[in-house]
Amino acid sequence: MGKPRRILIIDDEEIVLDSCLAVLEGGGYEITMAPDGTEGLKVAQEFAPDLVLVDLMMPGISGFEVLEGLRGIDPTIVAIVITGYSTVESAVEAMKRGAFDFLPKPFTPDELRLIVERGLEKRRLVLEAIALRKERELLQQNFAAIISHELRAPLSAVQQNLFVLTAELESRLNEAQKGRFERLKTRIADLLKMIQSWLRAVSVPEGKIGDDFAPVSLQAAIAKAIESVQPHSTRKDIAVTDSTPESLPQVLGDETILTEALVNLIGNAVKYTHAGGKVAVSARVEADQVMVSVADTGVGLAADDVPFVFDAFYRGKIGPDAEAGCGLGLALTRRIIEAHHGTISVESEIGKGTTFTVRLPVHTAESISPPGEAPAAPSTRDPGDQR
Amino acid sequence: MSDRKQLLMIDDDPDFVDGIKSILTAAQYDVDVAHNPKDGFAALQKKKYDLLLLDIMMGRGAEGVMIARKMSRDPKLREIPVLIMTGIREQIAFLFGSQALHPHFVEVDELMEKPVEPRLLLERIEALLKAAGEKASEKK
Repeated sequence: MGKPRRILIIDDEEIVLDSCLAVLEGGGYEITMAPDGTEGLKVAQEFAPDLVLVDLMMPGISGFEVLEGLRGIDPTIVAIVITGYSTVESAVEAMKRGAFDFLPKPFTPDELRLIVERGLEKRRLVLEAIALRKERELLQQNFAAIISHELRAPLSAVQQNLFVLTAELESRLNEAQKGRFERLKTRIADLLKMIQSWLRAVSVPEGKIGDDFAPVSLQAAIAKAIESVQPHSTRKDIAVTDSTPESLPQVLGDETILTEALVNLIGNAVKYTHAGGKVAVSARVEADQVMVSVADTGVGLAADDVPFVFDAFYRGKIGPDAEAGCGLGLALTRRIIEAHHGTISVESEIGKGTTFTVRLPVHTAESISPPGEAPAAPSTRDPGDQR
Repeated sequence: MSDRKQLLMIDDDPDFVDGIKSILTAAQYDVDVAHNPKDGFAALQKKKYDLLLLDIMMGRGAEGVMIARKMSRDPKLREIPVLIMTGIREQIAFLFGSQALHPHFVEVDELMEKPVEPRLLLERIEALLKAAGEKASEKK
């Protein structure tokens, strides 16, 4: 074992401290002592012990309170209570409050050594289990990225070559052939996009985003989202109108992720609207919320479908031109909006169209981080971070 | 020596390399290719390049990032503009704890997502070469 294992002994009786020290010294431990609970907890913060021996009966705060305090500092610290009145009740009570074991006074040196070694072994196992779990979580997270890369790489290579071929053969292809190339590219682009959505869906767990939120202009995000849907809407001859007022207040969030949510909504509207139809994006302030609506003149949702549209992998009727999705777009959109402390709702009438409405809290001037600096601010990160 | 710009591409996907190389060659660039980070870095040290096209996800992870880091520590290589090509923009975010989507490794760099429209690729390369050229003349 590399570094010496740390033991903290908290006891008001000097004789107990002394004898413990005498027994444990030379055992390869780093030992610190404290005369009472308050001091003990203070030391524990700094010293980060593996194991704490604590007297139950002390002047000042009791051993029980020390146990609670230790759990607050680091729940993996192994605590062993030393008890003068070796009643079963106090021992049981201590164990209930998280003590690993108890040692009735008076104890022999061997008893102390044994219980300390067992306690440290327990600590080692607990830490090992935690490390394994962390590793597994990391693997799970990266798994999505690895799979996505494996799927995307060959598709990108194919698409890249299609791009090149269309450019190189430009003058030699007839219209029908050009159309075929375009369809190939569209299909592959859809696949690439779908993989990306999957990756996002599995890798944006709630609570994870939010660390680097900054004031975002929804007007800009909406414009960007409409632009990114444009190839699709142009192809289907669907007019996407934007009546977002310039004076729209900002919201607090992640611009990239919010734009993604808007792309999902607007893209969906285009997908489920017949060629020649309309999609209207509008926004306004209502109470202290910004309200963004995406209304289409599309196929609409059956009343039975409405409660499920935000569920992952739920897909309503196939779009008018048999466009299929992966059933994740709206689920992901809701997660994004909720992570921004907003809500999303839907109104729909079959054959008439669907309106999705997103409400996000208006960002007020207080509690702003300096503009532009927010995303660069180092967030607290694991020491194990690979940076 | 001709005045054609010398480009190096480091990417482990031969099919992707093929596509890109064909665009660049047609646009009168000289293109060398390395299929792994090790050969790539060796090539950078052997010959003076005007621009590097760098894949991020190679080998057992983001080995492209290592090249960019090594370059940024080298006073000569630091001056070469880099076009970072990545399969998934988010992967960069993973590597950098969902911070900025475009971490700057060297003085002049740019991020592009694969696959890339030929016209767009050429525009970016031209812009990077121009920016690097301006930076270089500033220093003189």
